[in-house]
Amino acid sequence: MEDTGKNIIIAGVGGQGILLFSNLLSKYYMKLGYELKISDVIGLGQRGGGVESHFRYSKNPVLSPFIKSGDVDYLLSFEQTETLRYLHCLKADGVVFSSTFELSTSSVNTRLEKDMSESKTEIIKKSGKQTFIVDPDKNKSPEFDISKMMNIVMLGFYAEFRGYSHDEMLQIVKESVPEKFIAGNMKAYEKGVVIARAELA
Amino acid sequence: MKMMNGNEAVARGAFEAGVKVASGFPGTPSTEVMDYTQQRYPDIYCEWSTNEKVGLEVAIGASFAGYRSLAIMKTVGLHVAADALGGAAGSQINGGIVLVVGDDVGRIAGDDYNDVRHYGNMFNIPVLEPSDSQEAKDLMVKAFEISEEYSTPVILKITSVICKTTSRVVIDENYTYEAKCRVKYPVSFSKVIMTTMMMNAKGSEHPKLVKCFHDFPAQMKRLAEDSNNLPINKLELKGKKIGVITAGTPYYYVKEVLPEASILKLGLVMPLPEKMIRELAQHVETLYVIEDGHDIMEKNIKDLGISVIGKALFPKFPEMMRFTPDIIEEKLVPGAPQRTPMEGVPFRLPVSCAGCSHLFIAHILKKHKIKAAADVTCGLIGCFPHMESYQLQKCMGSSIALAHGYNVAKDHKEKFVAMIGDGGFWATGINGLMNLIFNDSQSTTIIVDNSCLAMTGGQHVASSEFGFNYKPENKLEIAKVCEAVGVKDIVTVDAYEFEGLEKAILNAVNAPTNSVVIVKKPCVTRFKLPKSTPYFIVQDKCTQCRKCINIGCLAIESKKGKDGKVEIVINEDLCVGCGLCSTACKFDAIKLS
Repeated sequence: MEDTGKNIIIAGVGGQGILLFSNLLSKYYMKLGYELKISDVIGLGQRGGGVESHFRYSKNPVLSPFIKSGDVDYLLSFEQTETLRYLHCLKADGVVFSSTFELSTSSVNTRLEKDMSESKTEIIKKSGKQTFIVDPDKNKSPEFDISKMMNIVMLGFYAEFRGYSHDEMLQIVKESVPEKFIAGNMKAYEKGVVIARAELA
Repeated sequence: MKMMNGNEAVARGAFEAGVKVASGFPGTPSTEVMDYTQQRYPDIYCEWSTNEKVGLEVAIGASFAGYRSLAIMKTVGLHVAADALGGAAGSQINGGIVLVVGDDVGRIAGDDYNDVRHYGNMFNIPVLEPSDSQEAKDLMVKAFEISEEYSTPVILKITSVICKTTSRVVIDENYTYEAKCRVKYPVSFSKVIMTTMMMNAKGSEHPKLVKCFHDFPAQMKRLAEDSNNLPINKLELKGKKIGVITAGTPYYYVKEVLPEASILKLGLVMPLPEKMIRELAQHVETLYVIEDGHDIMEKNIKDLGISVIGKALFPKFPEMMRFTPDIIEEKLVPGAPQRTPMEGVPFRLPVSCAGCSHLFIAHILKKHKIKAAADVTCGLIGCFPHMESYQLQKCMGSSIALAHGYNVAKDHKEKFVAMIGDGGFWATGINGLMNLIFNDSQSTTIIVDNSCLAMTGGQHVASSEFGFNYKPENKLEIAKVCEAVGVKDIVTVDAYEFEGLEKAILNAVNAPTNSVVIVKKPCVTRFKLPKSTPYFIVQDKCTQCRKCINIGCLAIESKKGKDGKVEIVINEDLCVGCGLCSTACKFDAIKLS
């Protein structure tokens, strides 16, 4: 069946490369001739704040830059507190891709509020959605720094899940990242593909 | 065809409009308009001015010279430049002049919500608002045409949503740049002069009097009439039940949620096309106005004697947050499903980057219970309740005068300290410093010299060693300027030399004279400072007193360990090895890895 379009939220914290991720994905969908709107919400502060990107591609003109709650097909999140923030936005058959990475919030650190008592990973798993969890600690590699490149790992995972051409996606990565990071990004991408294959088997 | 965000598209529009001069001051969300203009269109002269008022004045001067000019700022910045705008409004315009002003709808960057359209009402000048990147480019060109045709400065309102939304833009690949130049008036004066002419010399034919005469009210009246035929205002008559007057991105929310509604979509939001509004009002049963920001179109429509529903239906809006499709659906689509966010997900207060010099200053002030005012700088994060380092914080450049005011009121019996960034200092803070000197004040000012405007992404300031028009011989020295205006005691310290910094601040605070402490350390994020060995916490020694956590460093976290017990840990990926936390620990628990 032809893919007429999807609504995606990409979430995480500042410094995780969310904007690069949506930029790479947009180039892929551009090549396929889709209409696109990508809206980034970046909070105060250079690092550590919540970042969300609303990514919509469609065969028809895209109207609202923001996805209505309940209309999200895929939630790709690089930080699991942020995953929880957008779970309610997913469609009934929406899919979650979430890193177990967690950057504790300053409000919890300084006891202005209590952290959730249950494990966030467990809450995500129990959300009733199709869920893929990626643990950066279990996927560390000497070939690339997963703390910096989870975005590209997720890109590989997502591309494999969607059955996209890895050659085309890797070409886009090569054309878009600085020369010195290409090798690491390639490895990170391949890692994502490998994890996805194991999960999807 | 190109993918562009709103900021890129505005810059492209400026290029296609033949702009010659772009000036302004950084401010989220519209900072990148200048960055893109400067990077991509070298034909356009670009400058970050010392503040928004200076920036706008530069643009006004360029416009009088006949060239199209562009002033870039956020609405909070236009408050600073408002006097300049008042002077230009209603005056003779040669080259078109457009103010691109960013409104932080949704308070995404944390601004107190300000709506630039108030200035349209106050100064009687046109305001345009795009709904996507294509329009951002197109309206930019249109704004210059309106500016010249109706002899008025024009505001292009862009929002945090427009600025950060990427969509396709059709551009003319064959366009060749030409700086547009038009000199129509030999003089251009503020309305004071024109009003005098209008009241006393109307009908006179003496060339000296005619030269100064400018019938500005007639220009806006003509534009209001013409606005009914402008293609940028679109009347989409459909269903008769619901009619919506809207502008900006809310136009698309309405189209998506209410596909059957009749819509008047305004590109020119001020002045309003009265005939189009009446036509829509007659076509539909109920007329709504859906606008991001304050209820400005709503009030202006009601002033025409047309009843619309707006604020009454959206009580939390429009002041604080932005519209979303969900909000419109909830109110106007019966039986729409309700989806509520999960409860108890911890929120994120803004945090300083690991290794930021502001953390050192905030920590020392708190440690010694020194009362202080913060400014608009990354350092204002020290005001938030997870840090509690400052007692007073207002607008950009204010802290020096705030502290001085406090100190004179207290007869200088205690010393309230001012902390200010280099950006705030050059913007307007320097006035506060000159003021306290000649008014014989004994205040202490801490100037954080991180070589850039960090908060908006690291743009250059007068004391930076880089910049659009940078030459080493023109770089201003903060210490020299402080000395020149008469500061008695000036010391410069490296932020990471903790003991020296602590001593310098304490000496300055305790001395019975005015003083400045300049704290130097380039912004860790802008300049990507090399990391040192990260620190770690020896859990056996840690008593969880939380002194280190209260520093407010992004790298220090309170987390459940594998066994479920809470531990204070340092995130080694984020730690830059500045060592501030180790100076705060009384139990010797923080060590170099």
